[in-house]
Amino acid sequence: MKRLLQLLSMVVLALTLSAPVFAGDGGRTPLPSIPAAKGDQCVEDTADMRRNHMKYLKHHRDEAMRQGIRTEKHSLKACLECHAPVEGNMAAGGKDAEGHFCVNCHVYAGVTLDCFECHATKPETSAQFHPLVSPATAALKAADRPDSTELLNRLVGVTENKTGVAHE
Amino acid sequence: MSEHKQPDLARREFLGRGAATAGVALAPGVMLYGVVHAKPADEPVSSKVRWGMLVDTSKCSSGCNACVDACNKEHGLGNETHSRDTQRTQYIRKVELRHKFTGATHSLPVMCQHCETPPCVDVCPTGASFKRADGIVLVDRHICIGCRYCMMACPYKARSFVHETLTDQRPHTPRGKGCVESCTMCVHRVDEGRQPACVEACAADGSNAIIFGDLNDPNSEIAQRVKTYASSEIRADLGLNTGVRYQGL
Amino acid sequence: MKNTKFLEIGSGKGYYGLLALLGAIILAGLGAFFYMEHTGHWVTGMDNQIVWGAPHVFAIFLIVAASGALNVASIGTVFGKKLYQPLGRMSALLAIALLIGGLTVLVLDLGRPDRLIVAMTYYNFKSIFAWNIILYNGFLGLVAVYIWTMLDPTVKKFYKLAGFAAFVWRLILTTGTGSSFGWLVARQAYDAAIFAPMFIVMSFSFGLAVFLLVTMATYNWTGRPLGDVVIRRLKNLLGVFIAGVLYFVMVYHLTNLYATEHHGVQAFILRDGGVFTQAFWIGQILLGSLLPLGLLFCRFTRDSRFWIGVASILVILGGFAQLYVLLIGGQAYPLVLFPGYDVSSSFADGAVNSYSPSLPELVLGFSGIGVAMAMMVVGMRVLRLTPASLADDVADPHHGK
Repeated sequence: MKRLLQLLSMVVLALTLSAPVFAGDGGRTPLPSIPAAKGDQCVEDTADMRRNHMKYLKHHRDEAMRQGIRTEKHSLKACLECHAPVEGNMAAGGKDAEGHFCVNCHVYAGVTLDCFECHATKPETSAQFHPLVSPATAALKAADRPDSTELLNRLVGVTENKTGVAHE
Repeated sequence: MSEHKQPDLARREFLGRGAATAGVALAPGVMLYGVVHAKPADEPVSSKVRWGMLVDTSKCSSGCNACVDACNKEHGLGNETHSRDTQRTQYIRKVELRHKFTGATHSLPVMCQHCETPPCVDVCPTGASFKRADGIVLVDRHICIGCRYCMMACPYKARSFVHETLTDQRPHTPRGKGCVESCTMCVHRVDEGRQPACVEACAADGSNAIIFGDLNDPNSEIAQRVKTYASSEIRADLGLNTGVRYQGL
Repeated sequence: MKNTKFLEIGSGKGYYGLLALLGAIILAGLGAFFYMEHTGHWVTGMDNQIVWGAPHVFAIFLIVAASGALNVASIGTVFGKKLYQPLGRMSALLAIALLIGGLTVLVLDLGRPDRLIVAMTYYNFKSIFAWNIILYNGFLGLVAVYIWTMLDPTVKKFYKLAGFAAFVWRLILTTGTGSSFGWLVARQAYDAAIFAPMFIVMSFSFGLAVFLLVTMATYNWTGRPLGDVVIRRLKNLLGVFIAGVLYFVMVYHLTNLYATEHHGVQAFILRDGGVFTQAFWIGQILLGSLLPLGLLFCRFTRDSRFWIGVASILVILGGFAQLYVLLIGGQAYPLVLFPGYDVSSSFADGAVNSYSPSLPELVLGFSGIGVAMAMMVVGMRVLRLTPASLADDVADPHHGK
């Protein structure tokens, strides 16, 4: 009798704990709402990015900061070009705001996001062009944007931030 | 699908050089003080270059704050809402001098001196305060723990601590609460081949009191000037071989 | 020599009452920490000119006292003085407790305390601060082993080795603490090799004062006998250490006074510094050194437990005053970038900086003391650290001769 009761209570417990699995998607399990990014695709495969984005960012940040290697592929600033919060969106306001691509997923996953304590959450001007939107056009567009743009900007006194000259 | 193997180096160099030539040809009216050749983005900086600045204090006028204003604008400083004045960040400040005995007066900008043997780098427990190979002294705010020991150690009081949460940072100058920061010699500009904001503003203003360039390049304007005319470091007795030198003091 | 009987302190209303009080202080400190960390340091009195304030005064006092508190145990183990040997266990625990209290305050004041693990994994070995982190943690481990050799008869044979190692380690540690000021070339008040030995003698003085107070309080409140011989030997030693600190302070100031380039900072500390001058002469010299010396050796007061206790408290307060003058006074005096010039700027160049501690900072500082004392109280309850009796016939090795 005692054993039967024990078995029964274990089954009930197991069912309760695994209920979300049975509820399935669209059930009561909340999913993060990830705002869509601009552009066709990311610089890496989505599955790869999900798994490794922190490694890419960390590796790149040390290279950029300590050695001045400012390639754009894994640059956080460049990420935000596409993953920029929509203008007028609350997310434009800061690191804790909902509606930000990175913040939403991190809040959902419960992983503290340290980056935006210091880094800007959005690109400076939304007119900035991200060169890595698709691999085929990247090379063409690189040729389209020589240093002259930058020099002309200086001539007219525009001192907006830049993501740098496209090199890839 | 998205194959991003290493692009062709030769093609990149050709594009880069071609673009640079095209750029120079396209914009003849742009004044290029001590043109600095931007290295390719994927190349690490090297100690063959030593970036420095030279301040001619005789050209620096007492009421002018062009360099300070330009720096604040470039880095998005001054957006602290809660901090007292003494808690706000300043990367560069204008200092007014009056000699106690002779009465001689000077005005000059003081910022991080980018020493060759920086005391701030020596004392940082985590190595967050570091010197890049090309001589620019920076704070790695990813590993800065905010102990402020570098602020105690800096002979030039160049460092500031961020006392509150910040938003709306300029993307090229990440800065945030709890970390220490200082003049970066506009490293984001330098890596693109441009000049620091203070230098540019001083030139645009007409004073031309600050010049910037590669101290290791014998043909650069700055190297030639420091070779020809006497220049000094602030607190030269400390033997730090600063990257920022002054004339007229 | 007779085997000392060690006994845990009893529990009761007094014990739990004291723990409750200390717990409240610790909780308040935690609250202060959360407030400061969440809103940012703008709520404190510290700024870009005075970067280290009240929390650091408390933290450094506790850390320096921690190293000195081990002195009693070291004298017993390393120098073989029999009177001190029964006191060794309490001394070692007090050293650990004070160090943890000091480190708590130091770490909780960091701009990014969430990055503590970074501080433990990224080391710049040219930094004395990085070495201090290693030295402090090593000290905790080493003294824990030392207590173990005192408690556990199976490892008793390592007692001398552990004691010797701990003794050497804490000299290195205090040298490191002093050098974190002494190696700063930038500031007029620092940049002096004497900081290392001065801090060592300061540690002797502060640590012993705290130990005396803790011992007297423990034996008083647990009703255990504490004989005059122990008290007399300890208070005489304290007197010697106070004189030692006075000596180093005098040498430091005389040397600075001799060099014209330091006249500015000396005039500031000794004459023109307002609150700093008062803290130096009245706080550090008069109340912190001369008066306790008088109380400890003057015929009318030297045998009174009360006055010895007062003297110990004065030494502690004098220690705080000394660190206040050193730490904050040293930052208040402006950096001299242009010798011979009057300097002014928008970034406080050439101006004497002012500092007034804010409430969160003070609460955080006091909570460090709370942590240390709580550890001590609980440790004495849980472990056999306190001799059942320190009466003359038990403790005095020369008794009856």
